[in-house]
Amino acid sequence: MGGGGFTASPGDPALDALVLDLCAVPEPRVLFLPTASGDPREQIAAFHATFGDRCRTTHLSLFRLHGSARPLRDVVLNQDAVYVGGGSLRNMLAIWRAHGLDGVLLEAWERGIVLAGLSAGAMCWFEGGVTMSGGPPEAIEGLGFLPGSLSVHADGEPARLPVWLEAVRAGRLPGGWACDDGVGLVLCGDRLERVVAARPGATALRVDAVGGELVRRRIQPELLGGSDTPPAERVVGDDIREFRALRRERR
Amino acid sequence: MEAGNPLLDDFVLGLTGAERPRICFVPTASGDADHYVVRFYRAFAGRADCSHVSLFRRDKGGGAVEGDLLSHLLAQDLIYVGGGSVLSLLGAWRAHGVDTMLRRAWRRGVVLCGLSAGSLCWFAEAVTAFHGPPQRVRGLGLLPYSNCVHFDGEPARRREYRTMVDAGMAPGWGVDDGAALHFVRRELVEAVSSRPRARAHRVEAVGGEVVEVPVPTRFLGAERRTAVAA
Repeated sequence: MGGGGFTASPGDPALDALVLDLCAVPEPRVLFLPTASGDPREQIAAFHATFGDRCRTTHLSLFRLHGSARPLRDVVLNQDAVYVGGGSLRNMLAIWRAHGLDGVLLEAWERGIVLAGLSAGAMCWFEGGVTMSGGPPEAIEGLGFLPGSLSVHADGEPARLPVWLEAVRAGRLPGGWACDDGVGLVLCGDRLERVVAARPGATALRVDAVGGELVRRRIQPELLGGSDTPPAERVVGDDIREFRALRRERR
Repeated sequence: MEAGNPLLDDFVLGLTGAERPRICFVPTASGDADHYVVRFYRAFAGRADCSHVSLFRRDKGGGAVEGDLLSHLLAQDLIYVGGGSVLSLLGAWRAHGVDTMLRRAWRRGVVLCGLSAGSLCWFAEAVTAFHGPPQRVRGLGLLPYSNCVHFDGEPARRREYRTMVDAGMAPGWGVDDGAALHFVRRELVEAVSSRPRARAHRVEAVGGEVVEVPVPTRFLGAERRTAVAA
């Protein structure tokens, strides 16, 4: 996802619902990895509130020491999907490598576990992306499971796109996609299957360098939503649900 | 930053020899947790010039150091590293070159201190207990020894540390909660504590056997208690 999903505003429930649909099981086991933001409590709470009623949710903290007796590999491989939050791509990759999580995620991918994420959590799967971890945007290498590079927030963070285009033109990053907020790429193996959007007007851009020149192609995504949009009740937090239940009782 | 017990904080501030020391807090091991940063300012803002480094929220404002991090760190009297995961700490530091910056600050005479992961990181080798059984980790190696923290609180970690030293890990110290080691360059000057019973323990292999010897540990609160009694 080029941005969007439950941690963003608006939340793009259609993108989160698509992640769950890709699991193709009734009550998928979904693991949230908030490493790129330093495991903030609010993000973890939002994850459980968003997915808790239709999934078996777990989060994996690489900072908090409590209640983490299970080996990482067991935790990750025992899932249907891994959902990676946004934040600092540079920090996230370095920390994953320090814990050996990069190898575990590769194993998960090879086993068919759905790997999803937004922003840093989307770019990480590709050969490269653009990080803002140090302030100004910089090209950075990703895990390289998926061919090509990815740039995110193409509409929301305009500083990133020119840096990515120049890196692709100069050959420092392979060609790839730039996605607006609310746009998702669905890849099966290393093949792009669908380009989807949860927001009307959001698009993706395919860019390749040919002989030192950039060749750009605008992709019109398939708009998610309409009858496929999950009813609003399915994506509200626990507190809101409790509040609504109370209100119903009072009537 | 022990709750309600400033003795170790007072001790490290005293080591700077500065009237109003410049202290920089590095909370990387906690993922730059906001509540931890707040605790740091509460503990020190009254008696020191405080700042903190964020490797996760650098572009997000929040009052963390911006711009040239190296110059900022070199200009400190004290760098205080918070607890959390030592593996995550070292990974993030290396990605940003903070490991090299801290090495330079140390050579320049900036006092470096920290607790838990913020203690382990300075040593050549350390024991971490995170996601599964305790494991051996290579730290920055400013101190060419090994270190194990929460020595009294986590028996599994203590046992594993002995096994690791037996298997060839550098000799070093196991340190109870509330105890601290004070080094000048690479020499241990003394062990001190904020709790009367907390100790440091020398752990080394002697003649093929691991021995654990308690290090005389000076309780920092003794004088105060005498004063109260008088």
